[in-house]
Amino acid sequence: MIFKLFKNLATLASLVALSTFANAQDWKPSGPITLQVGFGAGGSTDTLARVIGKSLEAQTGWDIIVENKPGGGGVAMFSVLATQKPDGHKLGIGVNLPILMQLSLRGDKIPFKADDFDYLATIATAPLSIIANADAPYNSFKEYIEYVKKNGKGKVGFDAGPQKFLIMAAANKSGVKLSLISHKSAAEIMQSILGGHVDIGFSAGTHIKYLESGKIKLLAVATNDRHSYAPDVETMVEQGFGNSVEPFFILLLQKAMPMTLKPLWLRCWLMH
Amino acid sequence: MLDFATILAGLGDAFSPTNLIFVIAGIIIGQFVGAIPGIGPVMTMAIAIPFTFILNPLPALSLLIGIHKGGLVGGAIPAILINTPGTPDAAATALDGYPLTKKGKPLKATKMALYSSITGDVFSDLVLITVSVPLAALALKMGLIEIFALMIFSFSIIAGLVGDTISKGIIAACLGILCACIGLDPENSTPRFIFGNFTLYDGLPIASVAIGMLAVSEIFRRLASMENATRAAIVIPKNQSPEDTRISFKEYWAVRYTLLRGATIGTILGAIPGVGSTAAAFMSYAFQKNSSKNPNSYGKGNIKGIAATESANSSVAGADFIPLLTLGLPGSASAALIISAFLVQGIQPGPLLFQEQGRLIYGLFGAMIMANMVNFGVGLFGMRLWIKIVSAPESVIFSSAILLCIVGVYLSTGGMFGVVIMLIFALLGYIMNMLGFPTVVFIIAFFLGDRFELSLGQTLNILDGDYADLVNHPVAIGLILLAMGSIYFFMFKMPNATKNTTDELSED
Repeated sequence: MIFKLFKNLATLASLVALSTFANAQDWKPSGPITLQVGFGAGGSTDTLARVIGKSLEAQTGWDIIVENKPGGGGVAMFSVLATQKPDGHKLGIGVNLPILMQLSLRGDKIPFKADDFDYLATIATAPLSIIANADAPYNSFKEYIEYVKKNGKGKVGFDAGPQKFLIMAAANKSGVKLSLISHKSAAEIMQSILGGHVDIGFSAGTHIKYLESGKIKLLAVATNDRHSYAPDVETMVEQGFGNSVEPFFILLLQKAMPMTLKPLWLRCWLMH
Repeated sequence: MLDFATILAGLGDAFSPTNLIFVIAGIIIGQFVGAIPGIGPVMTMAIAIPFTFILNPLPALSLLIGIHKGGLVGGAIPAILINTPGTPDAAATALDGYPLTKKGKPLKATKMALYSSITGDVFSDLVLITVSVPLAALALKMGLIEIFALMIFSFSIIAGLVGDTISKGIIAACLGILCACIGLDPENSTPRFIFGNFTLYDGLPIASVAIGMLAVSEIFRRLASMENATRAAIVIPKNQSPEDTRISFKEYWAVRYTLLRGATIGTILGAIPGVGSTAAAFMSYAFQKNSSKNPNSYGKGNIKGIAATESANSSVAGADFIPLLTLGLPGSASAALIISAFLVQGIQPGPLLFQEQGRLIYGLFGAMIMANMVNFGVGLFGMRLWIKIVSAPESVIFSSAILLCIVGVYLSTGGMFGVVIMLIFALLGYIMNMLGFPTVVFIIAFFLGDRFELSLGQTLNILDGDYADLVNHPVAIGLILLAMGSIYFFMFKMPNATKNTTDELSED
């Protein structure tokens, strides 16, 4: 589904195979470790969490329970995690962008701050791209803006807030009118693009097989770095629009947990 | 679009022994819960979904389809034997089924129900399999504005078909949409109606609302109306002549037009997102009664009445998958649960499904065909057993059902929070039932609610204030005109027949 994600998973798996865990003897959890997931079962974050949970369990011999706490792109889970007893038995897995968006939009209404957590690791990144129907008369985001300038207004499909901000910034900069059409998922954006109901849209991995079959083309890379599978496609920054969107899948610890346990978790992660 | 190898591979998956076990298990569970008044296939599916997380997509869906189809067959049994439909869509079956039992022909009536159910189901599955691939290609061309218009149209149909009056139907639909508004809005992610409760960010959990509204409120209703805790035992008369216990081929052949009409009505209504099998059953019954030379014989034990209702309510099951697979819109509460099972497996139902998951789709079709055969076999052999189950004491049934509801919701929502929501909606459902507001309409509107809102946002963004642009969307205009026409029809011209049938039932 997502190239980089799989690459990271493969690395994880090989590390697990090679390393032996030596530090767990120093500390024994007094109960099961909960790995709390900010999204529902079956999504990409949940899949990642379950792989990690399984390999950590194999490494340490501790009981690791994956708990799904969906809501608000992770806000529900981190709200609970921030108020739970900080005993070092809890880890949270989420995606950085939706939480940062919520914190910056309505930080006063959210029961936690970014400082309530310690960063442990980045598990994977999502290679976000801007795509269009293969027979569209433009081949890059820059050309699309020129096309919209000539033809009045454009329709852009998105499924998350940061994507909307990226397009709004680009539209303001170039002075064109872009209608932002909200979608539930990248799969629905794909339907709209293939059916001709929007001009362009965002996708992190859903588009790959349509790219291969030649029904879809890449206009721009939305992250800061180009994608390994399409080294010739320029990023939004390179095309002169100044911004990028970087969704990271991250693993966080409670900041208030016992200081002595933090290096242990870090070692645990690195060995893992 | 699809090559032959994919189709064969899909069918091969469907007919594999593992998958067969899941289909059989689903059918047995479905007929069992269908036969018990108070527990239904919807509740069972909601409870089963968390257990399907660990299965592969095809066995998971096969199990759910088995429960769904089995439930439609099982629901008729208590309707016929004790005048208490096991599932709401079997309510119309009781009209002629129970009089037949009183005449001493319970076996004949249940067999007719089984044969009609299977006939209707096979018919609509065949329609589904033949039309869905070309329809999916068409559905991709169905724009965002057209989908919005389609939803308005289906709301107008369902609000009119179910319940006492269309105004109560519309109120229930609006209430459902209002409840669907809880959580983040689809445009700007602003939290609404959450009252500081972050677990509500993603809206009310579907399993809680569905089980609360449909299962727990039904149990409350039955408990409240229970006069004495023991039910009269069902006596199956012994030493009957074969013609009173069997349906001969001649008798089956004699009702062929009734079956065909019922199946056609069910398939058409099933294909409209939101209209469920209950409406189809009553509509088919009304048509049958009106077109009969001897309308007075209905309600007094006419076997054709059973044929009409059971063929119609079962044929909705297959046709429900037409909007589900091609547009990703749920046609009923069970379809909404099947969509959530698809999503749990990381699969998005919609027009691209046929390209991305061709093998799974044909596996699904294969499983549906197989489920029909298994349904027939299990129905035939299990009937006497289900008859025993129907007479199980209510105190046992209801207490275990409540327990199952709580456990199921706890599992699928991940905590007590979902259980509390379930109880709140059980109470709301009970009150709505008492006042004659249709809970089924509420549930469908709730399921379609967030799609509806998203769709409204998409439509407004595309039109961008320029409503004259609607002229470029003739299909959408046509659908909205149809919706207005159907509201007019239900308000002023509603054929008295259908309403009368519903009234008779509620007076019973």
